[in-house]
Amino acid sequence: MIPLPSLVFGLLLLSLFLLGGLTLRLASRSRQQKHELEQLAEALRRSQEDAEQQKNKLARRSDLDIVKDEFISTVSHELRTPLTSIRGALGLLSAGLLGNVDAKAQNLLRIASSNTERLIRLINDILDLERMDSGRAPLKLRRCSIYDLARESVETMTAMADDASIRLELVCLPARDAIYFDADPDRILQVLTNLMSNAIKFSPAGSTISIQIDSDINSLLLKVVDRGRGIPPDKLEAVFDRFQQVESSDSSKKGGTGLGLAICRSIIQQHGGAIWAQPNQDGPGTTLWVQLSRSARASDAAPSSLIASPVQRGEGLILVCDDDPGIRVVVAEQLRQRGYDILEAGSGEELIALAKEQMAQAAQTPSTKEHAPVSPISGILLDLYMPGLSGWETLQKLKEEPATAAIPVVILSVIPPTERTLLAGEAQGWVQKPFNENVLLAELGRVLRTKGEEGPGHILLVEQEPKLAQAILAGFEEAGVRIDHASTLQQAVDRCLRGAPDLMILDLTLPDGDGFSLVDWLRRQPTLRTLPLVVYSGREISDAEMAKLRLGPTEFLDKAKVQPTEVEQLVLAMVHRLRHPAAEPVA
Amino acid sequence: MRLILIIDDEDDIREVAALSLEATAGWEIVTASSGAEGIRAAANPNRRPHAILMDVMMPGMDGPTTFRQMQQNPAIAAIPVILLTAKVQGVDQRRFAGLGVAGVLFKPFDPLTLAAQISDALGWKD
Repeated sequence: MIPLPSLVFGLLLLSLFLLGGLTLRLASRSRQQKHELEQLAEALRRSQEDAEQQKNKLARRSDLDIVKDEFISTVSHELRTPLTSIRGALGLLSAGLLGNVDAKAQNLLRIASSNTERLIRLINDILDLERMDSGRAPLKLRRCSIYDLARESVETMTAMADDASIRLELVCLPARDAIYFDADPDRILQVLTNLMSNAIKFSPAGSTISIQIDSDINSLLLKVVDRGRGIPPDKLEAVFDRFQQVESSDSSKKGGTGLGLAICRSIIQQHGGAIWAQPNQDGPGTTLWVQLSRSARASDAAPSSLIASPVQRGEGLILVCDDDPGIRVVVAEQLRQRGYDILEAGSGEELIALAKEQMAQAAQTPSTKEHAPVSPISGILLDLYMPGLSGWETLQKLKEEPATAAIPVVILSVIPPTERTLLAGEAQGWVQKPFNENVLLAELGRVLRTKGEEGPGHILLVEQEPKLAQAILAGFEEAGVRIDHASTLQQAVDRCLRGAPDLMILDLTLPDGDGFSLVDWLRRQPTLRTLPLVVYSGREISDAEMAKLRLGPTEFLDKAKVQPTEVEQLVLAMVHRLRHPAAEPVA
Repeated sequence: MRLILIIDDEDDIREVAALSLEATAGWEIVTASSGAEGIRAAANPNRRPHAILMDVMMPGMDGPTTFRQMQQNPAIAAIPVILLTAKVQGVDQRRFAGLGVAGVLFKPFDPLTLAAQISDALGWKD
């Protein structure tokens, strides 16, 4: 039997021990919490600093862009003036209009003359690209026939082809009514003649260049097939970069500027299409592919009926808020042309007051015979950097106010849309300045159409390994998620053009290219460059590669660590987080 | 014989354009190096030009200003004017077209086809 004092002592000891342990644990937990709080505060401070730096950097960049635009425009004008005299003098001399010159002098004149022409083309091309990149060359869309445009280009290029003893052949597979699409005909002609001129330059005499047109319900496909020396596999993408030619002597030998394909790509992308090069399967030479949407994305907001009668009404009332009156005027004019009604605000404060008043009036005044109804605001275009209330603060206030919380907001800012998750979770759309008219219209149209909808997600899986793809697909199908599968780069591009997915799962190794070139392509598509992306790859990815692969919200899953069956869960969790950003902890 | 007035502040361009029109079309040329000088030359009753080819960017009165002044002057308002510009931006082109000029041609021009382009713009058949 244990003596009572010992028992009391034992109990006392035990409770002391327990109490001590508890205190220790409590102390340690509060230390841990304090530590976590400090970490959070640190993370917050860092992200604020980052945002500030980003903001300064972007403000500087936009100033730089303006200076650059003006510089290029002035330089090209200043270069044209002396070139006018040189071209004129050499042209008259080498044509022999002012008397004959001997053969040696004639040859020198020819050299000087042809190089002057080349310099002029170069200046024109640089200016052309600069205008497209800055969005100052909006497309003039109308209903066109790809066959007519191709035939016209062939006619234009026949003289050059004849000189090189090359035959141009035009093959049109689709029925006559399946060749119409919305496009800027002058720009498409520019692309087609450029592609043919390239093909002619690199084709052997006596060969045939085939121009083939094909189509399906959604898209038009045009191929220019040459039998030339071909493009090495590592240059297939690079030829679309500026001043990138397969051999460094090409520009002098072939008289090109090194900008032709960059311009083609810029034009096709403005049309919401794609252009790429592939080696021929059945022999030497290259095929240049152009894919164009039959109902061009750019025309979603501007169908041909609207173009025929530019001023229509009833698309909705848009409130444009920007402290720069110049931007307001341009935006307002472009939207009015497409049938939108416009209200303008020069500051965040003004916007909020105007929006509240308009919504209140719209709610109060029913339509009567004497008074036209006051329309509610369909959407807001909002600048981010404004004196007074910034765009972020304005957005916050709009969302706090019950009357204005439901109005969709499209951000119109110098900040690229890739930064959107970081900066403004509550905006429904994003257009980067300097903006392209068609992108603005398409984005606004998309936001107004999808207002309030949260349809089932549509996922695109890009994976070349059939068994792996099967396993991933099965997981999503069980969960009732719509998922499509592409096993090549080409298929992925096709699928994306048919309809933008809500998320892409991407394997980096593809039979006809790699994930990097696909991401590169996506980044150049106005409606795809913020696509949420999950990179599911078996190879190690460096930080630099990760940066190259980032689109919208991007996650990296390692095939070695994540089983195909787990992909579905992780991806759905990501989708959930994207839709409900508030549910995510700050850090 | 057609008489063309060329107005450009660049001596070299005046000379090349004049040579080109003389050599390719056989036209007769008078030149002026500023808008004001151009208006005086155009108003000369003894040598009234059939058309005026005028630079856009000139010190003092630029091309569009000179054109508007010409429109105020009944003696020269009817002479067709073609602007010759090194500016190729779409905005500029629309602005020029809105002025009511007979045509806009671009620098650097092709010396062998300049006369044909002018004839096209003016609807001259010969």
